[in-house]
Amino acid sequence: MEQRLANSWRQTINEKNFIVTALLSELRVDGRRPFDYRKLSIKFGKDDGSSEVQLGHTHVMAIVSGQLLQPYKERPNEGTLAVFTEFSPMADPSFEPGRPTESAVELGRIVDRGLRESRAVDTESLCVLSGKLVWAIRIDIHILDNGGNLVDAANIAALAALLTFRRPECSLGGEDGQQVVVHPPEMRDPIPLIIHHLPIAVTFGFFSNENIMVIDPTHHEEAVMTGRMTATVNANGDVCSIHKPGGEGVNHRVLMHCMKLAHVKAGDITAKIKDAVEIYNTQRALRKIKRHSSSVALDVGGTPAKSGEKESQVDGSHLHQSKLKDEPSSMECDATSSGQEQNDKRDGVSQKFIGGPSSWDPYSECVNSDLLKASLASHGPATHRQQKGSRSETKAEVPPQEMKIDSSPTDAGLVAVQNNEGKTLKDAVKPKNKRKKKKVSSNTGN
Amino acid sequence: MKAGKLRFSKPNKYWVESSQKRYVPHPEDSVLGIVVDSRSDNFLVDIKGPSLAFLPVLAFEGGTRRNIPKFEVGTLIYVRVVKANPGMNPELSCTDATGKGGEFGALKEGFMFECSTGLSRTLLSSPTCPVLEALGKKLSFEIAIGLNGRVWVNSASPSTTIIVSNAIMNSESLSGAQQRIMVEKLLQKIQ
Repeated sequence: MEQRLANSWRQTINEKNFIVTALLSELRVDGRRPFDYRKLSIKFGKDDGSSEVQLGHTHVMAIVSGQLLQPYKERPNEGTLAVFTEFSPMADPSFEPGRPTESAVELGRIVDRGLRESRAVDTESLCVLSGKLVWAIRIDIHILDNGGNLVDAANIAALAALLTFRRPECSLGGEDGQQVVVHPPEMRDPIPLIIHHLPIAVTFGFFSNENIMVIDPTHHEEAVMTGRMTATVNANGDVCSIHKPGGEGVNHRVLMHCMKLAHVKAGDITAKIKDAVEIYNTQRALRKIKRHSSSVALDVGGTPAKSGEKESQVDGSHLHQSKLKDEPSSMECDATSSGQEQNDKRDGVSQKFIGGPSSWDPYSECVNSDLLKASLASHGPATHRQQKGSRSETKAEVPPQEMKIDSSPTDAGLVAVQNNEGKTLKDAVKPKNKRKKKKVSSNTGN
Repeated sequence: MKAGKLRFSKPNKYWVESSQKRYVPHPEDSVLGIVVDSRSDNFLVDIKGPSLAFLPVLAFEGGTRRNIPKFEVGTLIYVRVVKANPGMNPELSCTDATGKGGEFGALKEGFMFECSTGLSRTLLSSPTCPVLEALGKKLSFEIAIGLNGRVWVNSASPSTTIIVSNAIMNSESLSGAQQRIMVEKLLQKIQ
């Protein structure tokens, strides 16, 4: 009890008076103008459908997930959308774990209303089997740090997460077409949700003096203000929802002014969200290109390449057929294990080489395509490029990435580099007698 | 043992200075407290420590039962820590050791913000901290710094107060030269 008394946040009379006095001169305590938003940063997690938004000191995270469930009886053809909020106790000393408080429920309702009533998320496309199975989309909003104006930040986080969420593709099968087959992401690309527009929540704070109004109040301003209003509008100017929970009465002229401001702010924020999602999608596409290139490289050679993976490294004859095919496979081996280990393995194995498949077990293990794709997907293009100029072990990892990007014809400039690297590795895989010589030369060359 | 900077003062004193958001009360520290409640014999004051502190009703210059000051909840006061033992509520006083009032007491108007204990120690160090020096050359303001990580600033115009408080808040991780540059940039933006 003592601890809680000591830990709760209190505001001084001085601060309250100062905030109002400063606002009379159109100044806010953090140096903003009354209608300025704080710095907004939108980040995404590794998985599709998770976003982290920072609005000044306010920090919110949203996760979107989907599940196949029975639809509501009144709407058998539509998927469902549900918003859950969690006010983490680390965000504010007044947040308690357990049941959501009134403000938590209110926040969830505002975000939900903005999305549902305006039909921002297309729910009819979420129907799989009418009346039986539909996609139930669940948005979990976690408040990590309360710096004021949680609603706006939570709304942006929810929208960003919805835009990057991908649900597995499913098709109908079975004898009567009633069986639903959910395709795993490796087999078929998951598909994004259909989002028609972005409803942006803009929160206004009103103070006892009629002329004072602020946008995006901070935690301290929220403790002083006497009324608040959240207007959810989209960039097209449509009003999706207005939320004014009691507080100071507001003149209708002020209200119309607020709506106009909200429209302008919604345009700004929509642009920022779309830019951030764009960057995320290009990064995602780059990662997928690498995955696809590995499968393309394997397919290009057709049968010889496939057998080549397992056997051509044994007898060097297949190697001459297509340098391109073998390099990916050998380089993929390098990608799966660390460069250093791989070199050691190669050294060790080469000394024991007698020409039979049994002694090539380390290689055939590493050519497991699932492992490959998983490891390649987790390697980003940036990390490999950074390692570029360092050592020969890490150089071994660079060519696979560059190879992949080469197979999808983008960077022609890298071809020269990769050819040089390719010689080194190809030599490593060649028959024993040549290998030792060339290895020495390549090592000295490196 | 907390992490911090190793400090040295001649001839043979070394200590580790750490900086936190929370304050550990220590006797003879001057701190800024917020009045939380008033009882018959003392005020309950929040000084950002593990427990609320007691400020005896008579611990004022010339304090008697007749002229007990009336502090509302939320009043900001500049006080001195008299006793601080672990497990007990700390005791405060609005007089210095000799009984004189000095600058202690309620602070009127102005703006109070919080910072880390390390920053407040830097602000109180002598020679004057670079950020305060740079601000003082161009602006006129009064400032009260509590070792518990609270700073109060007051000046004639709200914009000056806002500039000073933001400059101080931003100066935590900057070196002396960087602080001066930051203050210059801030002042240029206004003029």
